[in-house]
Amino acid sequence: MKEKRRRQKQTRLERVLEIPKEISSSEPKITIIGFNEMLIENYKGILEYQEFYIRISTHIGILNINGFNLNLTEMTSDDILITGKIETVDFEEIQ
Amino acid sequence: MYIRILLNYILGYVNIRIEGYFVEKFVNICISKGIFLWNIKKVKQATAYANIGIRDFKKISKIAKNTKCRISIQSKKGLPFISNKYRKRKVFAILLIAVIICIICLSNFVWNIDITGNATISKEEILNSLEENGLKIGVFKSKIDTKQIVNNMRLKRNDLAWIGIKVEGTNVIVKVVEADKKPEIINEEEYCNIVATKEGIIVKVNALNGTPLVKEGDTIKKGSVLIGGFLEGKYTGTRYVHANGSVYAKVWYTQKEKIELKQLNKIRTGVNESKYSVKINNFQINFYKTLSKFENYDTIEEIKKMKIFSNFYLPIEVIKNTNYEQTFENKEYSIEEAKTIGEEKAKQALENTIPNKEDILNTYINYNETPEAVEVEVIYEILEEISAKEKIVF
Repeated sequence: MKEKRRRQKQTRLERVLEIPKEISSSEPKITIIGFNEMLIENYKGILEYQEFYIRISTHIGILNINGFNLNLTEMTSDDILITGKIETVDFEEIQ
Repeated sequence: MYIRILLNYILGYVNIRIEGYFVEKFVNICISKGIFLWNIKKVKQATAYANIGIRDFKKISKIAKNTKCRISIQSKKGLPFISNKYRKRKVFAILLIAVIICIICLSNFVWNIDITGNATISKEEILNSLEENGLKIGVFKSKIDTKQIVNNMRLKRNDLAWIGIKVEGTNVIVKVVEADKKPEIINEEEYCNIVATKEGIIVKVNALNGTPLVKEGDTIKKGSVLIGGFLEGKYTGTRYVHANGSVYAKVWYTQKEKIELKQLNKIRTGVNESKYSVKINNFQINFYKTLSKFENYDTIEEIKKMKIFSNFYLPIEVIKNTNYEQTFENKEYSIEEAKTIGEEKAKQALENTIPNKEDILNTYINYNETPEAVEVEVIYEILEEISAKEKIVF
């Protein structure tokens, strides 16, 4: 509860300064381009990687991607680019 | 991101196969340690392919050991590997270097001299005098001192008004402006006559100094004295002077043209054949042996200089001989036609020789008809100054 309030304060200040959310907080930014390209910024690491299934952990939860021929095209410590036929994306929020 | 991949391509990268049950772990550790992996592809349950730069590849083995993955190199890509591949082919590399050195060396010499702007002076003449001053085909480029050559040329030859020498690659462009021949100038203190340069009938004598020896209406020959370079006085006797003045006369220019009534005209049939030969310096190699298959033909020779890049000329020429087949055709002109053709031809020829068209006073045209041909004579009567100074030789 305490942490939540702190975060809200931050967002208010940031709203005034118009700082992008993905920079100030550790929340991930997910961009899906078309049906076969997906860019995830602010991720923590890969939990599982299969050709048809990718599990990526972020600071607020886990991201599951289902599809075919999934490739980790580009990987840096901040962002990850996934290419391949993406079918479904779902989230598992940490309680 | 693409810049990073491009940089890795230049520095070299390897495609690796990762085998193991903890590929994800391996990838995560790699990322956290700042090792850049790209194009990760999982093929089976326990194998994945990835690209990695060669610098990072050395660090990878320790991580692989920890995560119990096996790593094998699939393919090596990038410039370092390409150069390594050719390192073994020593002859190829040596020859490549030799060719480059050859080109650099050859580009220090002059291989072609272009001369532009000459009309009356022949190309060979200019080339000869250039050679005397040290500019010829095959000379070392840095030895050419264009200023010196230009100065020498202008001192030696008085028929050139201006010369420009420009070195472009292995090509030397010589621009020439021809000078009009100057009349001989006679010193004011020396005695001279005024003589006729052409035959004609005197129209006007304008003597400024000296004694006029001709009057209006006189017919004079070429070289006869018009104004004598002396003055006669009652008491002083004969005194020689520098004659001065101008004399105008009617001068005739004639041109005869003979037009045959029956003429044989050459006509190209449109069939042609080409023959090639190569000339290296002064050694010519012909790529043909047979004579032309045509009975009557016209040969046109085209010379093409070989060059690399835009201005690097080599001492190799390709000569193309094109033979055009011809047939002869008889054509008959009527007398009237022949007359007009002859007249036009003659007039054209005359107009090229006379200095000013506006000075024409009269034109006379004479025809002489014979059964085979028509002779046309065109005479132009022109008012012209015919005076020129000539030194008196005692």
